[in-house]
Amino acid sequence: MNNERSMLSRLYPTTKFMITIALCLAAFIVPGYGFSYAVLPICMVLAYFAGSFKEFSNLAIKALLMIVVFIFILQSFFYPGHDILWSWGIFSIKREGVEFALFLTSKIVAVASAFILFFRITKVKDLVHSLEQIGLPSKVTYVILSTLQLIPEMKKLTLVIMDAQKTRGVETEGKLLVRMKAFLPTLSPLILGSVASTEERVLTLESRAFSANVKKSSIYTLEKTKYDRLVQILLIVLLAILIVWRVAL
Amino acid sequence: MGIKRGLKYDFSLLAILLIPIGIAINFVGAQIILLLKLPIYLNTIGTILTAMIGGPWVGMVTGASTNLVVGITNPVSFAFTPVQMAVGLVVGLLAMKGMYTKLWKVILASMAVVLTVLIVASPIQVLMFGGATGNSSDAVVATFLASGQQIWTAVFSTKILVESVDKIISNVIAFVIVMKMSPRYLSKLNYGAIFIKKK
Amino acid sequence: MSIITIKNLSYQYPISESDALKDVSVTIERGKLYALVGANGGGKTTLCNVIRGFIPHFYKGDLRGEVLIEGKDIREWGMGELSQKVGYVFQNPFTQISGVKDNVFEEIAFGLENLGMEPGLIREKVDQVIRMLEIDYLRDKNPFELSGGQKQRVALASIIVMEPDVLVIDEPTSQLDPKGTEEVFKIIELMKNKGKTIILVEHKIELIAEYADYIILLNEGEVAMQGSTREILTDERALTFGAALPQYSLFGMEMRRRGMDLGSIPLTEKEAIEAVKTWMKKGVNA
Repeated sequence: MNNERSMLSRLYPTTKFMITIALCLAAFIVPGYGFSYAVLPICMVLAYFAGSFKEFSNLAIKALLMIVVFIFILQSFFYPGHDILWSWGIFSIKREGVEFALFLTSKIVAVASAFILFFRITKVKDLVHSLEQIGLPSKVTYVILSTLQLIPEMKKLTLVIMDAQKTRGVETEGKLLVRMKAFLPTLSPLILGSVASTEERVLTLESRAFSANVKKSSIYTLEKTKYDRLVQILLIVLLAILIVWRVAL
Repeated sequence: MGIKRGLKYDFSLLAILLIPIGIAINFVGAQIILLLKLPIYLNTIGTILTAMIGGPWVGMVTGASTNLVVGITNPVSFAFTPVQMAVGLVVGLLAMKGMYTKLWKVILASMAVVLTVLIVASPIQVLMFGGATGNSSDAVVATFLASGQQIWTAVFSTKILVESVDKIISNVIAFVIVMKMSPRYLSKLNYGAIFIKKK
Repeated sequence: MSIITIKNLSYQYPISESDALKDVSVTIERGKLYALVGANGGGKTTLCNVIRGFIPHFYKGDLRGEVLIEGKDIREWGMGELSQKVGYVFQNPFTQISGVKDNVFEEIAFGLENLGMEPGLIREKVDQVIRMLEIDYLRDKNPFELSGGQKQRVALASIIVMEPDVLVIDEPTSQLDPKGTEEVFKIIELMKNKGKTIILVEHKIELIAEYADYIILLNEGEVAMQGSTREILTDERALTFGAALPQYSLFGMEMRRRGMDLGSIPLTEKEAIEAVKTWMKKGVNA
């Protein structure tokens, strides 16, 4: 995302989304778990070329590691099966369980990687703009954009309020119940304040003709380039070959 | 009344502006829980709150959007979107029926919400993720499995345990906050009148 | 020529038990600056909301009497078309940004985008306003990261760019420091010189004495006094209706009370100095 010159980053959002969908479909068309797992390194390479390798890898680990580990634990030990690979006391790992876990996690890894990649190489602003062009109502795009602006603001405010509570002597460390009690006084002024502000926001939006009954325009522009066409055709051809190969198999 | 007219009525500009706030509250709740190191989620307070005062549809959209936004960095949450949506819908409907006007009713309503989560979340968790969710409650599932339970009952038992605590706390917090809202503000919302205290 | 005519207007908020405005009749002339003054809770903001159409379009409640904007009743104006006729700026700088734009340029363009204006023309108009209000240095900043005063000027710019004939400005400086206040008033003066009709709620009475043509004094929902700025601000009765008076007119009144009549009641520092000089000369001569 930082690398403005990378070709991948400059693709139109819908083209990028097609890449993601193609990767997901491919993971389900190709049998077994090998290819599905390979989607992760494929995405890593793509992320590298878009200049967001580190971000991508961090998020992928955060999102996937725990769930994959737990699926393996739950399935390999407790999946009903007979082919015991390893056992310790009453616990035993069964081949059927491991295979099921491999199948399940490979699909999860593939789909999740493809989506993490999409959001690393696509600015939300661009995505929303392209959705607006397709005809998504401006009220919907307002909610999306406003949410993404609001979350970091509210998180900052929370930290400020929590610090204030601390200096006032409200416990944010210590026993469970004590910490629980610290929760409400932290949250409630923040929430009441932001809920009350919606009333004035309505006035702001109405003053800016938000509910005027005309088709809105936009000074922000995104161009489709010849590469978009190229990538789209390439993806469709690849998918078609994959399907033919799968059917013929 | 057609559903389209109903939706337009529900999604007034004021109600729409509540949605981003509801989503942000869900985020902040989850963040504070992390900071205070508490073993629950509290990521539905915003959904419950907007459903109470904005109605079931607004609650549903808040819930759905929350998971979509989380999904930007963790796509696993896409799969659990129906859970948040169901919470918004059920809370909105219960609130319309007057189930959020007194504390004891709120506790009862919380149990209905827990049941909803159980019904919607368990199949997703078992069928799509083999019983795991990727957070600390998975250890509880493993414990139940180790004690000889089947995967479905293990997931059910875990959910009843964790969700009961989480949803009662979340519902009560949302209730307390709505009760603090000014009558003038509540009167402007389509579903706010029910919470204005009679003098 | 009058642009806004209000006749026998009364209004009651929902869930409230008494009228917030009682039998208000006011005529607003084109191109003049009107200051709404009076104690808090006297109905100033409510009157602003009526003129901008938020009452009855957003705040429900019970509206009686007649409110005509360019001869057309407020109830018949649509919210969209009214935004091009009456601009509205209020006191809280934080809720006056759209919340969806990540730079000031696009923030100011937001209103024109909503009106569906052609992008090239929007850029031109936004550029113009940015130059006029001298906020070019803010152009690429994130609106969320501006100071209160900067936000307020961007809010003004965002309204001015839509070129409304009337500007309703409700306590624009109450949350700003002296420097921010000065900059906002520079913009108000600019708009006045461009021939805009301005309705301003402001507590800093010295500023009103300097800029307003007419004053409408509201007290407990009623129009207690209205007239030219000089008329109202040199009238001691204004104090009994909860209005503040400039320190210079208070000084003149006190002098008169002590039998040292300055001849007229001064409004501004300049007038006061002038009056005292003449008075002292008179004293010396006598």
